[in-house]
Amino acid sequence: MWQIIKNEWLYYSRTPWLLGISLGFVAVLFVSIVLGYFQAQKQTVQYTEAKNDLREQWENIDAMNPHGAAHYGTYVFKPSNLLSSLDEGVNSITGNVLRVEGHVQNEIVHSEASQMQSISKFGKLKSSLLLQYIIPILLIFLAFSSISNEKRSGRLKLLVLQGAKPFSLIFAKTLSIWFYGLGLLAVTILAYAFFNLQDLNSEIFSRTVLFFWSYSLYYFIVTGLTVFFSARWQNPTIALTSMLGLWILWTIFLPNVLMSSVEKWHELPSRNEFKADMKEDRSKGLDGHNPSDERTKELKANVLEEYGVDSLSQLPINFDGLVMQEDEEYGNKVWDKHFGNLRSVFAQQKQSYQLGGIVNPFISLQNASMGFSGNDHLHHQEFLVQVEQYRRGFIKTLNDKHAFGGSKTGDWGWKADNDFYKSVPDFEHQPTALALVSTHYIADLLLLMGWTIAVFGLMILGTKKMQVL
Amino acid sequence: MKILNIFLYEWKHFFRNPFKIVAVLLFVIAGVYGLHNGQNLYQNQAAEIEKIQEKIETDKQKYLTQYEEGKLVNEDRPWIDMSSPFWAIWNTPTYKLKTPSPAMVYSIGQAEQYGFYKRVTFWASPYDADMAEEIANPERLQTGTLDFAFVLLFLLPLLLLILLYNIKSAEAEQGFLPLIEVQNASKNSWLLARMAFYYLLVTAVAIGLLFYGAMLTDVFKTASNAFWQMLLYTILYLSFWSLIFFFILKIGESILGNTLQMVGVWLLFAFVVPAIVHQSVSIAKPANLMTDFIEVRDKQQDLYANDSLFQQKLIVLFPDIVNSPVYRDSTKIDLARNRSASALVNELKKESIQPIDQESEEKNKLIQATYWFNPLTFFQNQLNSIAQTHYSDYEDFRSAIQTSIDYRIGVLISDAWNDVKVDKGRYLEYNSKFNK
Repeated sequence: MWQIIKNEWLYYSRTPWLLGISLGFVAVLFVSIVLGYFQAQKQTVQYTEAKNDLREQWENIDAMNPHGAAHYGTYVFKPSNLLSSLDEGVNSITGNVLRVEGHVQNEIVHSEASQMQSISKFGKLKSSLLLQYIIPILLIFLAFSSISNEKRSGRLKLLVLQGAKPFSLIFAKTLSIWFYGLGLLAVTILAYAFFNLQDLNSEIFSRTVLFFWSYSLYYFIVTGLTVFFSARWQNPTIALTSMLGLWILWTIFLPNVLMSSVEKWHELPSRNEFKADMKEDRSKGLDGHNPSDERTKELKANVLEEYGVDSLSQLPINFDGLVMQEDEEYGNKVWDKHFGNLRSVFAQQKQSYQLGGIVNPFISLQNASMGFSGNDHLHHQEFLVQVEQYRRGFIKTLNDKHAFGGSKTGDWGWKADNDFYKSVPDFEHQPTALALVSTHYIADLLLLMGWTIAVFGLMILGTKKMQVL
Repeated sequence: MKILNIFLYEWKHFFRNPFKIVAVLLFVIAGVYGLHNGQNLYQNQAAEIEKIQEKIETDKQKYLTQYEEGKLVNEDRPWIDMSSPFWAIWNTPTYKLKTPSPAMVYSIGQAEQYGFYKRVTFWASPYDADMAEEIANPERLQTGTLDFAFVLLFLLPLLLLILLYNIKSAEAEQGFLPLIEVQNASKNSWLLARMAFYYLLVTAVAIGLLFYGAMLTDVFKTASNAFWQMLLYTILYLSFWSLIFFFILKIGESILGNTLQMVGVWLLFAFVVPAIVHQSVSIAKPANLMTDFIEVRDKQQDLYANDSLFQQKLIVLFPDIVNSPVYRDSTKIDLARNRSASALVNELKKESIQPIDQESEEKNKLIQATYWFNPLTFFQNQLNSIAQTHYSDYEDFRSAIQTSIDYRIGVLISDAWNDVKVDKGRYLEYNSKFNK
């Protein structure tokens, strides 16, 4: 078998058009990594500048009422991910700027896609674009006549007579083309590692290994299936057109159709409905029988009792701050309910879409690629959750200062000093660890492995039905 | 061989080739599916707009009752006086709506990236967070919705490829080509005639789909021009690919070589070139983090801190207020000034938006400059324009929102400084003017 693989590689190295295409591909892959690297660098600089600028504005607050500061708020920018030069995922679609303020959990806005007219339906020139769409085509073109040409030339008979087993032949042909795909994949990963050497760590390493593994499995599926078609049909054109048809179905048609269907099966509310429901829950209470005025009265009674006084003016603290925090906490329950519902619909959509991998391994590849690059919707949601946790702590700090900082109830003119504002911590994004989210990608990897086994099975079947003589 | 004969032979060839028939059928199914996706979005947006209009009417009636019953001051909130222009305008429910064009059935374009309705208040801006798109799964947005434009731009060349890939090269490989040369005056005219058959076939299929789409959203009723423009661009696009494939087939002699070249050109124009342009634009002009817009927050604080500066700026913007009765009334001027704050903040926001819009404009110019070697992006944006789902349509929508905000603030300043008392008639006038 190794002899066949060796011979195939010798043939590749002596085929000028293949050498030309390979060099071209390596060059484009390299360019994609370089451009991705520059884009990530530029984004990081821009992000750092904006973040520092906003922090400076916050730290320059001379003296301000803490509740005024909660309205003044701050902004969080979505940082770029180190692996986005491999696969940018949903980053250009999701927003970049998130306002952090009191009373409300805002949504992230101002996406890159909304700032210009449409350009590419399939995204930027990232390695994932070439690895997902272009390289499989190249593998199909390399594999579609691999067996049928041997049949036509009569070489297949000769090889079988010389003792080569048909299965070994098919498997060796598959491996030789698969190795070619793996070579291009390896070039991409190595170029990526070269440009990001100083930032590599175990997290990036494990993500990259899984990224490599997912693509390796997909390439085996594409190559194996094409070689199977080549063995099954006498006419190589049928093998080619069948595989091209399958490629169109897998990469262009089904992801679109399945994703649209999934959104219909698990419907999301309209923005208007979503906001109206939250507004309703906030003002009338989550159960509809606990309006905000009643809640405030109850809080007032409890606080007066706790401090053993009869009126708010006798309180040693600022009751307004407590009301604000109580309102925040009630608001947080409302946000948790509604944003939680949204997240659960998104999770259902994702799970259903992942099942699409049963009929289309490309879906599993796409999910795995985005996920292991840390740029899928799940990672985006993790970022939003982190920002919301920060917002809650941030607003609580301000409300506590308002309540216990030394002012009295109704004293809206009271101001906290600059030292206090400097002491409020800034948002620090913690990249989501793969270990925390890896279970979400098990289905994708299992489906890719399932497809690999199925294709292997087809190869065995193909050998049995292959006409050698 | 006469053209009619070639057409007849080609029809037989096509009819006996199940692979090609299935390809055409799949294309039709994809087209119909895409058109229905466009129709769904059109209907959803129209339904949402209807709901908003109902809400506007309900809210308006609520306040009109107050005027009719003479309860202009709320007992729980005594500062809310509906006879003052400030509160009357505040409580005039106003939305700016981007009514979808029926031609959206053809191209969803960028419709899913932006909001299509906006509540207009004194403090509103076209870059507010509520201008974001409808709630949608970003992974779905990233994959894109399969609309008719997608079918046309990406699948039509593939259909053409499947129909044409073995023309001439099959004859060449089987050794019939010299025979055909003998039977025909010119090999090129024979090739052209065979291609013309498929060109007409695909044109007929595309026209059929365009008509079907027109029926789904009544395109002929309100946007018949869009139909004809869509047809023109469909034919132009089909001709563009036919021309490329003609040259490949003319030069090539083998099925494999031709297929490889045709797929290669398709990959180049559909994937590689747009992706390179996209990446380059992103490097040259990265996503704007809206820091200019955010800075309004600080400028606003500075403005509030300085009364005389505030007054000066207000007079520059609205010189007529110096002749108003409130300007000369020391008991009312402070309240009027406070209630005019949104006018100055609006100006600050407009100033901050200018560089953001300019940057977007530069990005668009950069993209347009690539049209000559990036045909798919060109056609994509043309189709979006026809369907009114192009970036510029949403830019116009943002301008309309800004105009509405400016107008609202203008009326507020004029009425507040002229001490107008709002009654039912004036309130109705506000409603009709602001929701025009």
